[in-house]
This record gives sequence, structure tokens and C-alpha cells, in this order.
Amino acid sequence: MHLLDIKNLTIELPTENGVIRAVDKVNLSLKEGEVHALVGESGSGKSLIAKAIVGVLNKRWRVTADRMHWQGVDLMRLPPEKRRKLVSQDIAMIYQEPSRSLDPTAKVFEQVSESIPEESLSGNFLVRRQLRKKRVKALLHKVGIRDDKRVADSYPHELSEGICQKVMIAMAIARNPKLLIADEPTTALESTTRAQVFRLLKSLNQLKNMSVLMISHELEEITTWSHAMHVLYCGQMVEAGPTEKVFNAPLHPYTQALVKSLPDYAQGLAHKESFYALKGTIPPLQHLPIGCRLGPRCPQAQKQCVVTPKQKKSHGHTFACHFPLLKEDKKCNPS
Amino acid sequence: MQPILKVQSLHKTYRVRVGLLKRKNVPVLTDISFCLGKGETIAVIGETGAGKSTLAKLLAGAEQAETGQILLDGTTIEDDGVRQDHCRHIRMIFQDPTRSLNPGLTIGEILDDCLSYNTELTHKQRDKKIAHVLIRVGLLEEHYHYYPHMFSGGQLQRVALARALILDPKVLVLDEALSSLDPSVRAQTVNLLLALQRETGLSYVLITHHLSLVKHMSDSLLVLNKGKVVEYGKTAQVFAQPKSKVMKRLLNV
Repeated sequence: MHLLDIKNLTIELPTENGVIRAVDKVNLSLKEGEVHALVGESGSGKSLIAKAIVGVLNKRWRVTADRMHWQGVDLMRLPPEKRRKLVSQDIAMIYQEPSRSLDPTAKVFEQVSESIPEESLSGNFLVRRQLRKKRVKALLHKVGIRDDKRVADSYPHELSEGICQKVMIAMAIARNPKLLIADEPTTALESTTRAQVFRLLKSLNQLKNMSVLMISHELEEITTWSHAMHVLYCGQMVEAGPTEKVFNAPLHPYTQALVKSLPDYAQGLAHKESFYALKGTIPPLQHLPIGCRLGPRCPQAQKQCVVTPKQKKSHGHTFACHFPLLKEDKKCNPS
Repeated sequence: MQPILKVQSLHKTYRVRVGLLKRKNVPVLTDISFCLGKGETIAVIGETGAGKSTLAKLLAGAEQAETGQILLDGTTIEDDGVRQDHCRHIRMIFQDPTRSLNPGLTIGEILDDCLSYNTELTHKQRDKKIAHVLIRVGLLEEHYHYYPHMFSGGQLQRVALARALILDPKVLVLDEALSSLDPSVRAQTVNLLLALQRETGLSYVLITHHLSLVKHMSDSLLVLNKGKVVEYGKTAQVFAQPKSKVMKRLLNV
């Protein structure tokens, strides 16, 4: 059964100059124990989708979906209190910029111990306090913080960005969530700490069977261990499917451009040679083109592209393009 | 061949207050030496706190070194902390273009300031040069009258590049200038930088932690750890046979 099943998620922002549709009919489904990657450039609505799932979006945003099922329960139709309870039990989220999303007025110990569920502790007041201390220590150790005493006793501004990020992860895994949504967890980190964080998430996924929804704009770092990949462009899902298929045989011109802009994966690119890059820049949300939003930048755009392409599916590989890229046929007998 | 930039045994220490009256000298860079040829790129990598950004600031002249020389095209421009020429031939691009440009000035004014403080060109010549440089980095002449907030991140990095190029520098220092950009915009910017290098023989000092970019763009590689050079050589060679522990650790991930 699907853990999370979302169909036609649309997120809109009503403004004076009309409605801005920041996320346009996105489908997403996730099974237990799977790692999914959500890839896209800034302004493509990745974080919005994550926030809509957890339900922490600002009231100004209008979220609609045909269905948004969490283990068979439709989150959109639940009353807010129930929804909050359900989400807080099973879903955890790591936010962007950890030093900003931690409470600056509380020490790390308080913040981490706050996220430990009360039900998991037993005994009287004093015993529980001891247990709590032990749990915080264990959690900090688990995410790779060695001097737990110093870290637990300091405020977020006294710690480096990398350690703040690890504290965020410790808080997120305190409840043993079934799904962890990681919103660009490694942008602030350098490569060695980044690898540590990935190793940690990977081991949690394998040992605890925790599903992970990774949000990132760096393709190369998540492709090695995610099962499926969703590529977003300006709020439209352009391509989705098993990572290997999407990465090795992209059908959408945008995915192809993303893959080709990685020096390690652009085959046959000589040293210091130009990359393959799409022209132009990402349009701002106020001036989105109609139809396929890649249209003005797409090298293969034609007249039909002013109509929004329907999502087509073949062998679990979804794409939304009128003119998908064709695989080069291997000739059996070259003459 | 004469190297365009030569750095000889650069030292830099910061004074840190310890206790009430005591001061302690903390070395950030010790004995840095390297050469950079015309039209070549040197990449500087290392972990945080390795002294990469300090090196960039020293090269650009934003800070002075204690001892050591910086030679540009055979002439000494910095000798034991005394700088002769300021910010003309070695220019720097910063990490976040949205924060490194003055939001109160138009693009034209930002570029005009560079010229009027550093050159003796007349008003007309300056305008002509600004238009020329804007086109060279892939913007339009009309962008003269735009303010920074009207651009997207990738375009702003182009403006920053224009500001660096307008004084016809010989060396450009890119301090994490590519890491804050989105992949497709980054590819465009890299293409632009490479094309400029091909056409004008500009040299780059590339500071980044993006190893695949280092591999693609740089000719030689300098690996720093705690202010010391732990590895220096041709990029392909260092990547093929890393000798130092730091480089091995960086490559493993």
C-alpha cells in the first residue's frame, strides 16, 4: 500500500493581479521504505509541496488536491487538530537553514527533549527526567555529535551550521517517523559533513525502514541512493520515475539539460569545453508562460507547446511533454 | 613562459583576544606559494576553516598579508603587507550576488563607480565601456537603468562578473561564485567564464567545494588544510593519484 499518495496537488496564491499558480497538478506517491528525490531549481515549488504535505503553509496559500492520502486517510478532509496529530506522529521534516528554524531562545537540550514523545517514557517524574536526559544524549550521539554535553548546553547561535543541521535531524528522528521530509538538508554544509548526513539518512532508511523524501537542487548527490526521482520545473512535474530510468534515459528536454549540465555525466565532454545549457532563465512566478512552462526555453518547442501537455506514463516512467526525446535506436546491422 | 600571477610564501595571522589583556596570534595561512599562467585556472579546495576565503581576500587586496610577495606579470604588487596597486588587475566575485551589489544604485551607476574611481576616462568613454561590458557578459545595454532587485540570481551573477571585468583585469578570483546558482544557470555561467578565458586569456582563481566543477574547469589544483598547502599540482594528476589525507577524504565522498 502507498504510504503517501497525492494526486493533482495544486497550490495557488491569490493576489491583486490574479491568481498565481505556484504548483500545478503534481502527483506523488511513495511506498514504505522508499527514498524519493524531488529535484528542481529555485522557485519550482519543491518546498511548497513539502510544506503542503506537513500542513504548515501560510493561510494565504490555497491548497487543493484531488486526493492526499496518508496510509489511506485523506489528509485534506481531516479536521485540523486530527490532521496535526496524525502528521506529528508519523511525518517529520528537516527544514532549510537550520540555524534559522531552531528556537534561538532555548538551549539545544530543551529543544531536543521537547520533541521526544511523552508516551515513550514511563515511571515517575524523576525517573522520566533521567530517561529524557539519556534519550537526548543517545539521539545526539546517533546523528554524530560527539561532545553532546557542550552541544546540549548551548544556544543555536553558538553552534556551527553543520551541527545545527544535525540537531535538526536528531529532533526529526526522535519520534521514529515513518516518513522524513528533508528540505535541502545539505546546502549549508561542506562535503565531508554532507557525506555524514547522507550516510545517516541512508542507514535510517535501511535499518528502520523509514521513507525519505529528499528535496534538492543538486542532482548528482541524490541519484546514487534514491529509488525514484521527480523533476519539477516552475511548479509543473516534468518527469517522474525510477531514478535510473530518469537519469540515464530522460524523455523530457529539461531533465536532459539537467543531467547534461553535470560535468561527471556529460559523456564525451572535453576538459574546459562548454556545457550543454538551456537558454534564458527561470521565469518569475508573476510572469509564467502558458502551456508548458519550459516552452520559451525549450530547444524543441513547437506550436502545440502553448497547450499544457498531459502526463503520459509508460513502464512507471511519467513525463509531460508533447515531443518526448526518443532513445537512439541501436542498429542491428549497420550497413 | 612568464606566469601572470606568482605568490611566494604568503603568511597571514589574525590576532585574537584571549582573556582581558592577552592577545594570541592565530595563523590562518602559512607559506602559500603558487604560480598561475595566462589563460589558466587554479582551483583552491579545502574544508571550512582551511583559509580559502582568506587567500581570496589577500589576492584581491581586501586584506594584507604579514609576509610574502604577490607578483603580477613580473612586477611585485604586494611585498610583506605593503600593497602597491589596488583592485585593478585582480578582481573578485563573491558568493551571493544578491548581497554583494548595492540595492540603491542602478547597474549603470555601480559599474560607473568602478570606472570613475579607478580610471581617467571621460563620461562618454565610460558609458561606451559599460555598454560594451554588459553585452560581453550576455546582458543588454538597456540594463544600465535597472536596479539589482529586477534581476534573477543568475543575471545578478552576470552583473557581478561585469563589475569585475570592467577594469580589464588579468586575474579573476571566484570565491564560491558558482555554488549559489541553480544547475542550469550555473552551466550557463561556467560556459560564459570559459568562453571569456578562451577569447581574452583571463586567468581564474576558483575557490569552490564542487569537485566536479574543479575537475572540469581548472588546470592546476591547490589543496589547503588548516592554512597549509598539502597538495599542489596538475588537476588531472591530483585527482588520479591523491597523496594527502585531506584530498583522499574529499575524493571519497
